[in-house]
Amino acid sequence: MAATPSPARQLSRRTVLRGGLGAFAATAAGVPLLSACGGDDSGGNAKEMSFWNFYGPSDDQGPQSKWFVDTVAEWNKNNDVKVKLRYIPGKDYLNGTTLQTAFQSGQGPDIFLISPGDFLRYYNGGVLQDLGSALPDEAKKDYLPGLLEARSVDGKVYGLPMEIEPLAMYYSETAFEKAGLSEADLPKTWDQTIAVAQKLTGKDRYGVMFETTPGYYQNFTWYPFMWQGDGNAIKDGKSAFDSPAAVQALKFWGDTIKNKVAPRKALGDGGGDVVSNLGSGAAAMQQSGIWAVVDMRTKAKTFKYGIIPLPTPDGGSAATDLGGWAFVANSKGKNPEAAAKFIAWALGSTDAAGVERQRQWNTVVKTNLPPRKSVQQAADAKGAFADGALKKFVSQIAPTGKPEPRFPPEVYQPIADAIQACQLNAADPARAAADAAEKIDTFLKTYQGAPIS
Amino acid sequence: MARTRAKPKAGMTRKRREALAAYAFLAPDTIGLLIFVAIPMVLAFGVAFFKVDGFGNYQYVGLANYKLMAGDDQLWASLKVTAIYVVTFVPIAFVVSFALAMLVRNHFKGIGWVRSAFFLPNVVSLVVVGLIWQFLLVDKRGALSKILAPVGLGDVSFLGTPSLALGTYVVISVWFLMGYQMLVFLAGLKDVPKELEDAAQIDGAGSWQRFRYVIWPLLRPTSFFVVVNSTIGAVTGLQAFDLVFVLTKGGPARATSTVVLYIYEQAFTFNNMGYAAALTTVVVAILVVCTGLMFGFTRGGRFDEN
Repeated sequence: MAATPSPARQLSRRTVLRGGLGAFAATAAGVPLLSACGGDDSGGNAKEMSFWNFYGPSDDQGPQSKWFVDTVAEWNKNNDVKVKLRYIPGKDYLNGTTLQTAFQSGQGPDIFLISPGDFLRYYNGGVLQDLGSALPDEAKKDYLPGLLEARSVDGKVYGLPMEIEPLAMYYSETAFEKAGLSEADLPKTWDQTIAVAQKLTGKDRYGVMFETTPGYYQNFTWYPFMWQGDGNAIKDGKSAFDSPAAVQALKFWGDTIKNKVAPRKALGDGGGDVVSNLGSGAAAMQQSGIWAVVDMRTKAKTFKYGIIPLPTPDGGSAATDLGGWAFVANSKGKNPEAAAKFIAWALGSTDAAGVERQRQWNTVVKTNLPPRKSVQQAADAKGAFADGALKKFVSQIAPTGKPEPRFPPEVYQPIADAIQACQLNAADPARAAADAAEKIDTFLKTYQGAPIS
Repeated sequence: MARTRAKPKAGMTRKRREALAAYAFLAPDTIGLLIFVAIPMVLAFGVAFFKVDGFGNYQYVGLANYKLMAGDDQLWASLKVTAIYVVTFVPIAFVVSFALAMLVRNHFKGIGWVRSAFFLPNVVSLVVVGLIWQFLLVDKRGALSKILAPVGLGDVSFLGTPSLALGTYVVISVWFLMGYQMLVFLAGLKDVPKELEDAAQIDGAGSWQRFRYVIWPLLRPTSFFVVVNSTIGAVTGLQAFDLVFVLTKGGPARATSTVVLYIYEQAFTFNNMGYAAALTTVVVAILVVCTGLMFGFTRGGRFDEN
């Protein structure tokens, strides 16, 4: 992306702020007068770094908030360059404007959280710092295969994953019992899913539930169904979306709506919210992620549920999507080197304290799979995956997973439109897939950023 | 010294003092509008000539952002959504709020309560409004589904069906805005001289004739304001963005992807700030033209027939 120096570069940030105009720097996105001013500090060695996140310090001061606060306090105790947390509510962080406006005006945070879907946008924007020099080989080797690669370009690591979040199908034992079904009826294939869901659908309940609101999350939850038939959105640098695998996956989601066994609009926060849907009895089966285990543990303690791997098409193979956010440092921040060091320390330390910090995050305050082998061993030793849903996630589901693709918005959007059209508007899957493939191809022809897959 | 300085002030005419006071009272608004509306508008117009990547980099591209629009199917689809929304929402909101104003125009016992009840939705944040309606409309378990279940419509998903979602928004927006517009109409009705109505009544005009030949013509400025205001609100206002953002994010299958939501996506999902700015200028231009046409057709809402 060509950088044209703005005529206003000589204006310092302070002059502008003194002029009383600072307030709208934040509101009026894309204002050239003000935007170019913040980058002046880049590569500096400031003594304080900002860390924007959607966990802490939050108002509820729950365990996840506490983990962030404690981790930063621990770092600040032993380091000259301090880290200061800024909490941004999840909804605003994910779909809002705070992060984007900050980066546009050169006021981006020094450290922040990033999802795979946003990785390339920020990498191609030139704001991600290479963490390599801060990360010892020993730490790199500790990560499970594929995880660092998904956040690397040309062998350089730009983000450290804090967790692995696989998807599975949750089911309500009560709903199965009430419908006179047993464990033997748990669906293994797509056809069985619809057949069983028909039996489970009633006056107040849908048999099965997938995400219905458009967005990155919906795409994330849909990819495994495409992978199960060995499909992908991009293969060898070209669009491969108009494949039978993608078409049948689009059709499957549409069929659940057509057969009236799945809702068109979910409760609460949608597909990721198991407590509001499965937990309330509104759905008997629900596709969701491993984070829901701790949600159920804290908010629906007595609710009896189980998980199964995502059902597959006839002749397909098991697959799931491994989500997970990463810590990244802003290369144009106030002190990128120190930011990289903080990230390597917080998530990558291989000493006993570092492993324990990771174990706490992944298996105590939150339920994820730890991205590092040593942390998995430590968690195993404490019996974290000894039984129940987590055991299944580790032994059966995670091994079939692929890291969430890092599609830029131009690839994500046509896929999202195809999913929405087939799921909720009875569009022809073959046609929708072909349309999306064409749009992706058009984009790829002029794309000049880092490799997408 | 002090005396000579104070003198001209004391010598200021009453008219000048009044003018000075007027300027002083207008200044905060003018300055606020200038800083928060006028300057950003001019800057947005400028940004529209650049390719902006969202990371502080600008590249001058001339009219390229405007040229992109012709081939942008989704822009046209979102303009269509907004157009349908405007032509359904504006008349319905007009009729409903006007009817409410006529209903609560005359004093009766408990009038305060009734008026407040109609106005109440308007004081709630639209995000909260969205969440409340989500509960009411949720599939199978919402209050509305329960009511409709006996007639076999318990399965209808008002926010999840592409053909119903936009209509649902119209209903929610009317419910939200009717109280405010009712107040505007009430204020307008207060300005209709009672003597004129009385005179018409003595001349033998029935209630419909009094309405048609006295109230309605005198209300033209108010009606004009309501139509212009609700049109602008329907295109760019809170209900076109906040509600959609909270409830459906433009779904299902883009059925509620209004043009403002599309601009937001371009700016904050795609980081195409320049294109988003260009789209904004086009939407503003469309609104200016529409408002101009309305002014033309109604001669500015003037109520004297000459």
